[in-house]
Amino acid sequence: MPPAILIVHPDRKTQRIVQRILGSTGFAVEVTGDPVTATALLATLEPVLVVVDGALLGPDAAALFATAHARGVEACVTLRADDAGTQVPSVLDSGAITNLLVHPMPVLGEELTITALKLIRGDLFGAEKYLLWGTPLEAVTLTRASERASIVAALAAAVKARGQAARVAQMAQLVADELLSNAVHNAPVDAAGVHYRADVARDVEIELDAPHQVELRWGCDARYLAIEVRDRFGSLGRDTILGALGKQAVRETGSGAGMGIALAYRSCDHLVFNLAPGTRTEIIALIDVRHPPTERGAASSYNIFVDRPRQGAS
Amino acid sequence: MTETHGRMTIVAAPGAPAGTFTIGGSIDETADLHQLPGRAAAGRLALDLAGVAFINSLGVRDWIRMQAVAQASGLVVELHRVSEPLVHQLNMIVATRGNATVTSFYAPYACDACGREETVLIDAIAHHDRLMRLDPPLFPCAECGASMAFNDFPERYFSFLAP
Repeated sequence: MPPAILIVHPDRKTQRIVQRILGSTGFAVEVTGDPVTATALLATLEPVLVVVDGALLGPDAAALFATAHARGVEACVTLRADDAGTQVPSVLDSGAITNLLVHPMPVLGEELTITALKLIRGDLFGAEKYLLWGTPLEAVTLTRASERASIVAALAAAVKARGQAARVAQMAQLVADELLSNAVHNAPVDAAGVHYRADVARDVEIELDAPHQVELRWGCDARYLAIEVRDRFGSLGRDTILGALGKQAVRETGSGAGMGIALAYRSCDHLVFNLAPGTRTEIIALIDVRHPPTERGAASSYNIFVDRPRQGAS
Repeated sequence: MTETHGRMTIVAAPGAPAGTFTIGGSIDETADLHQLPGRAAAGRLALDLAGVAFINSLGVRDWIRMQAVAQASGLVVELHRVSEPLVHQLNMIVATRGNATVTSFYAPYACDACGREETVLIDAIAHHDRLMRLDPPLFPCAECGASMAFNDFPERYFSFLAP
């Protein structure tokens, strides 16, 4: 029997639709209408993923998330775009929700399926998973810290040259700049856990040897512009991310402003963190290029995936 | 004369009142923007920001420091022709607004008839009442002459104008 997905949604019709979407991928899907029943079901079903509708957020859902976290079950909240602007701050404040999908329609198919597939297969990495098959990805490797400015400016120019709106190019430039800066300065960590480049001024030149080099890839399939930044340290943690996404205040001291993840999150439509602790961190920003700003959600989606050794893997 | 501070440029606009500067390029870790209040004149600092194409989180911190110095010095800060990247930061991070007065800013518009998208300059003083009602002005499309409408959520894009 394939791993189970547990859907918690108050509306029976939507339950059926989501059940069909996720069931079509071959996974066993169970549904329930309330978080209390879902918490009880966690013990017997042992699902890989529990998907909770945002309308159910509250103390019972918080208990469900806590139980899921304790049992190693990933939780995903889905929010309708109309409600997202008001609900996302409380989602971020909770610090417990590692997957949030904001969607403009009652049901979100693709992102939910990708989330489920990544978790169940344990195959997390690569922006290709969010793009149409065959979409080429441009790649560049940062070998000196000072290359960041020219690389992000070239990215913005290339996005514009492909006919995208200036708004999309501006967002791409900001997202890439913040993610590259984090990867160069915050990711490097020594055996004692010290982030030894975090306090190096951002305008100081640093030659990046192989372990410190940062890879940027990007591509566009006329749905999403995907920007992927990867470092080779894997030092970014789930709790750090959850604390950073909702930040509002710039850090007064230190070499970084402490707002990189928050600005990247607010400047894209979907921010995906793929974490392989001690090995690599990959962050993928997705900017929806199909819709004008008025048809986009008032808040963005995010996923935090942590690579775990698979049971039975050699 | 154009001064270069990293990837940012500053020009003291010829013919404009003293303390008026045109800022361009990228505001980032190389900008040193917080030095500007020291160049204000008669208690006034006026910045033309149409040419600011990019600002990152370190640029935002420098910008906030500039606002703090200006505020502590009792300066009147006027922001003219604020570019879209800066408007986004003014909306995302409240501290960037300081005590400054925005007199005009750029905003995204789109023509429903022909699909043209354009960045349009809005006079924040002339249209103050409409903007407070989240009812941005319409502009004619330069391509087909039809009416261009504001192309973002007003409550999101104009939040930096809230008193």
